[in-house]
Amino acid sequence: MLGYICKRLLLTLPTLLLVSVAVFLIIRLIPGDPALVLLGEGADAASIAGLRADLGLDRPLPVQFVSWFEHALKGDLGRSIVSGEPVGELILQHFGLTAAVVLVAVTLATLIAAAAGLIAAWRRNSVIDLAVVGAATVVLAVPSFWLGLVLLLLFGLKLGWLPFVGYVPFSESAAQAALFLVLPVVTLTITESGVLTRMMRASSIDVLQLDYVTHARAKGLSERAVLTRHVFPNAFAPTLTLVGLTLGHLLGGIAVIETVFTLPGLGRLMVDSVLARDYPVIQGCLLFTAVVYVVVNLLVDLCYPIFDPRVTAR
Amino acid sequence: MAGGGNLARALKTLAVCGVLMLGFASARAPAAVDETTVARAPLLRARLNSDIVSTNPGTRRDENTDGVLLHIVEGLVASREDGSVGPMLAGRWSVSADGRVYTFALRPEVVFHNGAPLTSAEVIWSLRRYLKPETRWRCLEVFGPNGIARIVSMSAPDPHTVVITLDRAAPMFLTTLARADCGGTGILHPASVGSDGSWIAPIGTGPFRLGEWRHNEFVQLNRFAHYASLPGPRDGNTGGKHALVDQLRFLIIPDSSAARAALVRGSLDIIDNLAPSELLGIRGRTDLQFQSVPILDCYSLLIQTRDPLLQDVRVRTAIALTIDAVGLAKAITRGTASANNSPIPVASPFHHSVEAQLRSVNLPKARQLLQASGYDGRAIQLVTSRRDPQMFDVAVVIQAMAAQAGINLQIDTVDWPAHLSRYTVGNYQLMVQSFSARLDPTLSFGTFIGDKRQEPRKVWDTLRSRELLDQTLQTADPAARQAVFDTLTRDFLEEVPAVVLYNSSRLSVVRSEVVGHQNWMSAQPRLWGVSLR
Amino acid sequence: MRGRLRHAGLNAILGISLVGALLLTIGVGLVWMPYDPIAIDLAHPLGSPALNHWFGTDEFGRDVLSRSMLGARISVLIALATVVVAITLGTTLGLLAGYLRGWTDRLLMMGTDTVLAFPGILLALALIAVLGSSNGSIILALSTAYTPSVVRVVRSTVLSIREREFIEASRSAGDSALGTILRHVLPNVLPPVVVLATSLFGWAMLSESALSFLGVGVPPPAPTWGNMLSASRPYMDIAGWLSIVPGLCIAGTLLGINLLGDALRDWLDPRRET
Repeated sequence: MLGYICKRLLLTLPTLLLVSVAVFLIIRLIPGDPALVLLGEGADAASIAGLRADLGLDRPLPVQFVSWFEHALKGDLGRSIVSGEPVGELILQHFGLTAAVVLVAVTLATLIAAAAGLIAAWRRNSVIDLAVVGAATVVLAVPSFWLGLVLLLLFGLKLGWLPFVGYVPFSESAAQAALFLVLPVVTLTITESGVLTRMMRASSIDVLQLDYVTHARAKGLSERAVLTRHVFPNAFAPTLTLVGLTLGHLLGGIAVIETVFTLPGLGRLMVDSVLARDYPVIQGCLLFTAVVYVVVNLLVDLCYPIFDPRVTAR
Repeated sequence: MAGGGNLARALKTLAVCGVLMLGFASARAPAAVDETTVARAPLLRARLNSDIVSTNPGTRRDENTDGVLLHIVEGLVASREDGSVGPMLAGRWSVSADGRVYTFALRPEVVFHNGAPLTSAEVIWSLRRYLKPETRWRCLEVFGPNGIARIVSMSAPDPHTVVITLDRAAPMFLTTLARADCGGTGILHPASVGSDGSWIAPIGTGPFRLGEWRHNEFVQLNRFAHYASLPGPRDGNTGGKHALVDQLRFLIIPDSSAARAALVRGSLDIIDNLAPSELLGIRGRTDLQFQSVPILDCYSLLIQTRDPLLQDVRVRTAIALTIDAVGLAKAITRGTASANNSPIPVASPFHHSVEAQLRSVNLPKARQLLQASGYDGRAIQLVTSRRDPQMFDVAVVIQAMAAQAGINLQIDTVDWPAHLSRYTVGNYQLMVQSFSARLDPTLSFGTFIGDKRQEPRKVWDTLRSRELLDQTLQTADPAARQAVFDTLTRDFLEEVPAVVLYNSSRLSVVRSEVVGHQNWMSAQPRLWGVSLR
Repeated sequence: MRGRLRHAGLNAILGISLVGALLLTIGVGLVWMPYDPIAIDLAHPLGSPALNHWFGTDEFGRDVLSRSMLGARISVLIALATVVVAITLGTTLGLLAGYLRGWTDRLLMMGTDTVLAFPGILLALALIAVLGSSNGSIILALSTAYTPSVVRVVRSTVLSIREREFIEASRSAGDSALGTILRHVLPNVLPPVVVLATSLFGWAMLSESALSFLGVGVPPPAPTWGNMLSASRPYMDIAGWLSIVPGLCIAGTLLGINLLGDALRDWLDPRRET
């Protein structure tokens, strides 16, 4: 098992290197100079050149990359050009918030999808089924940021139940922090539950038609036992794959949701850094998200056997 | 089957992780304010639309950074409310007859935030530090080979006197020292830097000291109890400064709608730079106070006179003749801005009848000029940025207005770094640009006038304009300077190296509990002398 | 059986109605729009819906209905072009990877994984920043972000049918690799690709509006539903129609596409319920 994990992680190293090089090159291709952005309009050429030298931006590109990479291997991702903060700390802070929102939302969405999809499949073509499928299909079609805006308008402004702006860190007040996160979590939960519900329903329908379910019923097991112990674990497996893909993708940044709700999450950090040409932060963030993506995929693959014992981790 | 049990456990773990993520730290209720015993309010919350870039004055900076740091540091002199230069750390000064030697008398009662008294030693140390290239002082070039003068020597005959000798007379010397984008040439205590010269934190003399800077969340300033204020009322960046609250917190809220909503809900006390698009949302509210003060910024349409098509003054004039500056300003800023075609802002004391002339729209003449120049309707690029919504809106409106005369403008929206980059090297045909407040008309004209070979960002590159600008640097006599400014304005309107559109007003909205808030034309937050009921 | 068919039929009817409405709007928009969608009228900004402006006017006095009609054309064109590029490129690469295996497969997979490791929005943002904001660069950026998904789906389909008898038969009969691919592999790959294409269209449309929301997107004054939504934000509480109209347009179009996609899936693979 441990060997398998190690082998998987090692295999991803070339990809991580490629990602790093690609990011490094692409962001330097974007026109714009971070030193100029820092000094503002009206700065003279000498100051700009001086600042570029301070930031190490006047060195040849390969030298810059190797230097960054060497430090990254030792765990030092450098300092933000804009704020001077260590990139590693910056990423972890912002990731903490994004992870909180994403994990809670995806967990809730999975719970909703698992229950709704299973029930809809069990009571196929009934009113319940139609309602579930209808809701899931509509939810799939609504842009997440629009939903967020509408919810914000309704609950934040018109009704005033929930705060409109910003974010209070947990270290200050957990209760208040939770309040600020309610709307983003709700928005994300609704958005993600659509596709998960449909997947769960589809695989539940498949499993319900299998022989051993009929056998279980014939053996005299209660319907509830049949559903929870026979149907659900096997029907859940494909949905779990989708959950994994979703998590990997969302943890990489929910920039749009964070913009709507003005949350200082990882997605916003990445977008803001690109717009400010903060090279170390962008490079660090992308390396980080690539690693997260790999780890989440690995975890999902490892969890698979829990639900489908026929599948063993190769 | 085993699967179900494992599943239940897995789900439970997931749930626990989620809950743990949500709340692990202590929940502290905010301290209650006992209004009967405390004379000062504990906390005043203002807003910045972007994070400050540094706590090191006059180096890496933008407008927000300048504004916040000027609460912490003070220079020898500072700008008064009318734009002139007044005493700050220097109680008075004298200038030698040849204009080269400045003798400053420091105010003996001033103390640094760390308790050390202000003496000439710290002043000399601070000024020397600014003049070192490694400090990357924004205004170093003003004292360089192309600047107003060189500083020949600085000395401290006694602990409360500083003598600065220049290599020639420079009427703009004090104005430069007072410039906000130079960090006000703020005097710092040597403990602000480490033994190796690296920056630590600003230890200044201002009414507030730096409290906490939580990146992209807030900047908090704390009241400096031993601040020695100048007598008299508030006057620009000088005059009487009193910290009337214990803590001043600048919340960083980039989104203007979010800021407005926060104010309405009471999570924010002051927005001193409201976007005009938010005006309609606060109309008629009795719990808010609203103020509009014209400032000395400048929104203009820059023209690249080196471009083969645009080097023809007829084409440039035609473009200018399609633009209705009054209508444009009114629409984009909801009536709060002042239309202006002169580089000297409307709120400047130097804005008189010559500067107040506005070009009227003349489409037939524009078409005539275009035809004479042989313009064939080809696309002309107009660069703008979304970073400032007004800049973006200006481009959209100009494009529509120019189209009425058959001028085909294509908008190229770029992000801010790309915009700055193209501005600096002159890589555009037309560009919408906004300039931050310049307190003196020489500086305002200076953003346009220059030698393109050395500074490609300058749009007006003629020998005559450079000579005239130089004349305004040589004399301090307001009447003489006004005459030159008038000439420059007339030339500007005729040669059309750019089209100035409007000067905006700084819109502030504060909650009704806020007392004493007043914007002024420098376009910076100024929160001393402000308190909560 | 009847219930399922009824279900599929309902999907198809609803889907066709919505998509049909969209196509009708675009078609009508090609020849006539109530107002010039780009003409500004600074005297009448933020007008609420009325008889002369059915969907009201925006902050520059432009007619929202006309802009929505033009926006339909532009948004759909961009999404369609993205799908075409991504499907074409992705299918080609997926076929090559799945059929040829070996180093081709490994290299292509490494490339695909690299692109997939980038958060999609960020990749698009960076590419657009490099290439400049234009319809072409947006299509290129979105296609780049979505091609890997197509490659993966095609590749796994090819892998699963590769070993089947008729492929063996074709090879032993002397067909070239290209011939085998075109005649036998491709037709079997098409059904999942077609289904993916409908999902992709929806994603492309959502991504384009998300990019506009973040500030990069189709340059002004051309409207897309996405940039109309983005521009409506400061006026959300005083001019709600500015946010509701483009949002409903996007949601309605996507609903129609999804329903059609469902009906298509039912038709192509009636064993599976969706």
